[in-house]
Amino acid sequence: MAIGINTEIALTYMTSRRKQTIVSALGVTFGISMYIFMNSLIAGTNEWSEQVMLSSTPHIRLYNENKLCDTRMLDKYAGAGRINLISNPQLLSSGNSIANPDAIIKQLQQQPEIVAMSKQVSTSVIYANGNVQENGTVLGVNIDEQDKMFDIASTMVSGTIEELAANPNGVIIGSGLSEKLNLGKGDYMTLTTANGAQKRLEIAGVFRTTIKGVDNARSYVNIPVVQQLLHKDRSYITDIYINIKDHNKTADVSARINAHTGYTTETWQSSNEQSLAGKKIRDIIANAVVITILIVAGFGIYNILNMVIYEKIKEIAILKATGFQGKHVISIFIRQALYIGVLGALAGLLAGWAISYFVSSMYLGLGNVEYLPIAFHTRHYLQGAFFGVITAFFAGYIPAVRASKVDPVQIIRG
Amino acid sequence: MSIALKAEGVNKYFYTPDKFQALNNVSFEVKEGEFVSVIGKSGCGKSTMLYILSTMDTDYVGSLTLKGQHVTGCSQNELAAFRNRHLGFVFQFHYLLPDFSCLKNVMIPALRLGKLPRKEIEQNAYEKLQKLGVAEQALKPASRISGGQQQRVAIARALINEPSIIMGDEPTGNLDSRNTAVVFDIFRQLAEEYNKTIITVTHDIDFASKSDRIIEMMDGKILNQQ
Repeated sequence: MAIGINTEIALTYMTSRRKQTIVSALGVTFGISMYIFMNSLIAGTNEWSEQVMLSSTPHIRLYNENKLCDTRMLDKYAGAGRINLISNPQLLSSGNSIANPDAIIKQLQQQPEIVAMSKQVSTSVIYANGNVQENGTVLGVNIDEQDKMFDIASTMVSGTIEELAANPNGVIIGSGLSEKLNLGKGDYMTLTTANGAQKRLEIAGVFRTTIKGVDNARSYVNIPVVQQLLHKDRSYITDIYINIKDHNKTADVSARINAHTGYTTETWQSSNEQSLAGKKIRDIIANAVVITILIVAGFGIYNILNMVIYEKIKEIAILKATGFQGKHVISIFIRQALYIGVLGALAGLLAGWAISYFVSSMYLGLGNVEYLPIAFHTRHYLQGAFFGVITAFFAGYIPAVRASKVDPVQIIRG
Repeated sequence: MSIALKAEGVNKYFYTPDKFQALNNVSFEVKEGEFVSVIGKSGCGKSTMLYILSTMDTDYVGSLTLKGQHVTGCSQNELAAFRNRHLGFVFQFHYLLPDFSCLKNVMIPALRLGKLPRKEIEQNAYEKLQKLGVAEQALKPASRISGGQQQRVAIARALINEPSIIMGDEPTGNLDSRNTAVVFDIFRQLAEEYNKTIITVTHDIDFASKSDRIIEMMDGKILNQQ
């Protein structure tokens, strides 16, 4: 027997009420296409905002924090047998620098998860061109290392990063800064720090990240320039930026680095907590909408099967009279619900993909968003199909059980 | 001749709207190959009795044995399987499934039983339809043929699993005299040639008088059986 009799009856009922079947399948189709579209949009948005965050934040930042003084030295000096307490402990200035950064980098290079590292020394400065001044931050970096992490080369609108590397008195500035101070490649500008140190640098290039806060304030120079501005020695480094293989697994790597080096580590998640909260809220909104749609689709199937069972109650009675058991009747109607679910799910996958595809080509053009960010993940399609069929199953189960309880004597005798 | 059906002390009560005794201590036997008609006025309990005999109604007191098997107290699923295998029904209305062809309607109980391959079932169903003279309607939807033809298809459906007992609840109640005669002849032939036991409830005295035996009922009791 190719197909069972239950299947055959279910299929016949479906095909003889084609319109009803299509309408209820459309409910599932709509639910699943929305599920896929919403998830693709949310995932796309999340990935986009993550990408924006990671374009200016390293996965892990290693720096030296001022620490509250403790009794360690006192204990060592006074020996055992005494309990030392410090009332009103004060913060100890660490000088904000990382001692012997090259040794630390060498050590960290042995960690297999770490893919890129970049030394930083930064300070806030006043940029000036003639009488016009702008506030900002200058980052002293090895531009090749920095480029590996943040792909600065691709954001350059004029000049190249190699020109900065070749010019000890060069500087790369953001496009916003370049407009405000009316400076282009080859021009000179003055940098002044809070302690009065000044330097005149040649502009080696202009970058545009499309993030306003960065383009309007940031500039990159070679490390010694900032060290000179701060009157510090050649080993003065304030931060080490670290990128790892999987940016979602920062927690344990950062804990390990912290234990290893003794310096404070900050992950990109903790420095972007509000953005991650936004991501969570978006997820919740999307799930709420999607679940609502699926439930509505489920009620559609439930309704139509209830109607079918009401119409066919005599036929169900006859089937039972001629030897169909309760489980056979349940099987017939659950099958019907599942076929509707599968049919709707398949159409929903297609529709979901089509909607996502068309929306992904919608031009937005705001800030650095050109087109609506849409992610295409197989996972969403599999989940969508799964949820669709599950909804159909439960929507069919209740009417099916009701049908199985039909008493043939009552129905046939009227 | 062996006993096909044996009812002993069957009592049946209805509780809604008021308590009412529909069957009062009904006992009788039917032999294999017998053609029995049950007659009586409306409300005398003859249909009620038939539905108990058919195992569909299990809410009764007493004991029922079909084909030597004691069926009182069996579970609904066991009874459904038993009906599928051993009993055939013909109702006043044909109760065919209108979405299926006549042939498919006849095949369904056999497909449920699942003893034979589909090909053979189709062959058997077609033969049954042929025997009942409705073979040329086989592929038409069950809702598109005349009342007499529908009833004959329903009889074919009742016969498909070769049941030994066939029950009819006013099988000719909705038919004209010509079709009534056809149905009667079919029943008569089934009893004589194929040794089927036939129990029909009927209002039609003519139909009843031509059968082997008449059981007359009144007020839930058997008045007399010839």
